[in-house]
Amino acid sequence: MKKSIRSIIVLVSICAVVSILMALTNSVTAPIIAENDAKNANAALLQVLPDGGSFETVDMSAYTLPSTVTAVYRASNGGCVVQLTTSGYSSGMVIMCGINPDGTVSGSKILSSSETPSIGGEAAERFAPTLNGKTAGDIETVEIISGATKTTAAYRSAVKDALNTALILGGASIDTRTEEEILQDNLDSALPTAQGKFTKHFFVEVIEGIDAIYTADNNAGHVCVLGEKFVGVDNEGNALTECTEDEAQTVKTAIETINATATELVDLSAYEGLPSQLIQAQKSATGNYIIEIKAAGYGIVGGDEYHPASGEYIMVRVSITADGRIIDCLTVSQAETEGIGDACAKESFYGQFDGKTEADYTEIDAISGATLTTNGYKQAIGRAFDCVKIFEGVNS
Amino acid sequence: MKKDGNLSVLLNGIIKENPTLVLILGTCPTLATTTNVFGAFGMGVATLAVLICSNILISLLRRVIPDNVRIPCYIVIIAGFVTIVQMLVHAFIPDLYDMLGVYLALIVVNCIILGRAEMFAGKNSVGRSALDGLGMGIGFTLALCSMAAIREVFGAASFAGIAIPALENYKIEFLVKAPGGMLVYGLLIALVGIITAGKAPKKKSFSCAGCPGAHICGSSDCAKGKEEA
Amino acid sequence: MEGFKSLVVILLSSVLVNNYVLARFLGICPFLGVSKKLDQAAGMGISVTAVMLLATLVTWPIQHFILDPFELGYLQTIVFILVIASLVQMLEVILKKFSPALHRGLGVYLPLITTNCAVLGVAINNITDGYNFVESLVSSLGCGLGFLLAMVLFSGMRSRIDETEVPKNFRGVAITLIAASFLSLAFMGLAEIVNNLIG
Repeated sequence: MKKSIRSIIVLVSICAVVSILMALTNSVTAPIIAENDAKNANAALLQVLPDGGSFETVDMSAYTLPSTVTAVYRASNGGCVVQLTTSGYSSGMVIMCGINPDGTVSGSKILSSSETPSIGGEAAERFAPTLNGKTAGDIETVEIISGATKTTAAYRSAVKDALNTALILGGASIDTRTEEEILQDNLDSALPTAQGKFTKHFFVEVIEGIDAIYTADNNAGHVCVLGEKFVGVDNEGNALTECTEDEAQTVKTAIETINATATELVDLSAYEGLPSQLIQAQKSATGNYIIEIKAAGYGIVGGDEYHPASGEYIMVRVSITADGRIIDCLTVSQAETEGIGDACAKESFYGQFDGKTEADYTEIDAISGATLTTNGYKQAIGRAFDCVKIFEGVNS
Repeated sequence: MKKDGNLSVLLNGIIKENPTLVLILGTCPTLATTTNVFGAFGMGVATLAVLICSNILISLLRRVIPDNVRIPCYIVIIAGFVTIVQMLVHAFIPDLYDMLGVYLALIVVNCIILGRAEMFAGKNSVGRSALDGLGMGIGFTLALCSMAAIREVFGAASFAGIAIPALENYKIEFLVKAPGGMLVYGLLIALVGIITAGKAPKKKSFSCAGCPGAHICGSSDCAKGKEEA
Repeated sequence: MEGFKSLVVILLSSVLVNNYVLARFLGICPFLGVSKKLDQAAGMGISVTAVMLLATLVTWPIQHFILDPFELGYLQTIVFILVIASLVQMLEVILKKFSPALHRGLGVYLPLITTNCAVLGVAINNITDGYNFVESLVSSLGCGLGFLLAMVLFSGMRSRIDETEVPKNFRGVAITLIAASFLSLAFMGLAEIVNNLIG
């Protein structure tokens, strides 16, 4: 018994002495270690903002920042450094970007990335200096690098987020929502009963004063877009959103028109010389046509070792009046390269065809970095015009 | 154990009972930290420091520590010194700290240290224990550095981080990878065996001599180790 | 689902990619010392796996609920090694009392585990890698299984070496290490496969 008490006393006192020694060493080394860590962190920040001086961490919860931003440091010279993690395609790249006090990019670099090191990483290193000196306004004029389009596009958009962050820190209010998010928010407030799910109506008739109609997936009604105004309506066309009498009349007419529009299939075998890409055509009672046609984009005619071709056509639906004016255009399906050619599925692209005729339909803006997709799409639209001419018996 | 002279206590650890190449102790750091001479030297010196300090303290306390709790006492003392060394390296040589990572903390379980505490410091005077720690530590450092030199020069075409341009195109990268470490270690042990043939104590199998569990361990090797001890 | 996938990745990578013995050189002593016979190798491997799991079960809460809040991070090494040593002692006493058969099988390996750097290594790595509690347990399980796998495979290789004529100076440790080098090489290949699978 006496022996074991002695054992315990010895063990405990050794523990105590050793702990005291350790605590003493810790009290000496801890401040040095903390200082080293701070110096290292500072050095990393100085790499992207050499004139930054010293840095302090910004409390991000005080601002509404782009969702990609993970940390913000304010520099003593008035600039800032923003750390971002890319999302979407090419996700997971951690980028640090320095912004000068005048709102231009001072430097940027990748901290860590899951990109293929030999392709994307190297390209991003070459790409980073070309962004230096740019502002939020002109950064999108910098050409992305072909062969590593995904990585560099993601990099550019991250740096743009960093620039916006700097502006927000400076007191500017910037809508960091994407176009899709803005549209969704507008639709939701115009017709809350739709519970957020809408399908864009495909026009077969020209309806004056209406830019677009979105139909609730749950049959709760429609939302009519009149310029900047979003008007919610029920299925009979009665406006639910507060609006002027004229507007109420316009939406009433619009809903009645789309409810009354009937189409029938065109018998393709009755015509000769139709393009083989044509899949289906419908004719409305008022004489307009809905053409469904295949477009050979990058997925058919493109493909390289980084972005293999998918082998899929782009499916295009376009409505054209009998005298050859496009009423509406829509990408039904596509399998173009993610992050590049797949922009052909965005309204910002196919919406450009609305109102165009055979004379000026080629004047639309191409998708940046996706020439083959754009050309294939235009070719399909051209063939749709040909179809209408054949249906109408016009000789081309 | 017959009493050797002080010089032979020192030399014993460096040559005749080199912990790494003859006693085959501390294999983990030997393999893990020898891709770079700088890291290997740092590891060696850190271990040396812990070894000397713990040997001295344990030898001082050898009459105080009761036999039944000696292993826990040794572990506490060693762990304390390891942590102190770890903090000092972190504060003053941060590059080395980053390079060694978890292996710095794992000096605690390096069999050399506990082995020397159990085999030597617990039974010998302070001075001799310090000499023993110094000898063993130098032996360990030398072995680590020579192995790292082979791996780094031929595997990465550099020495302690300084590039050797002449070898740039003849790198055998396999050597700085995990299997290369085991291969070089095996070959070095065989080489030492050839050089010291007949002189060194015949070491046929793995030493459990320094292992604190040797007297309980049932394996035949350990039984042998116990006899040798 | 995402969480489950990350657990699978942790498990696979700790068994195959970052195998403690063959890629990270932790637990080499028992790997070389106790791998002569299959039953010994398996016994050691199972004991190590069990102790790793137990150690993580105890050390993770200690780190996050005691050391971190009181800023006692510098006590990590000493606390962890004492926890592991006491766990091993307790496990031995419990086994001896309640399952003498199991104690006869595994008991002899337990004292050796205290100084097995793989156990302390896994406890510390779980903290430095920032794993949460469940991830830590999965990673410990993976490391233990990886150790077991390496031990069992290597015991097979060693039984072959025993039957061959080895040059005099290579007998013993030297040839064992060279053989281990080949096993490690094989795991490097495996690691590449796993990396491509879960990339």
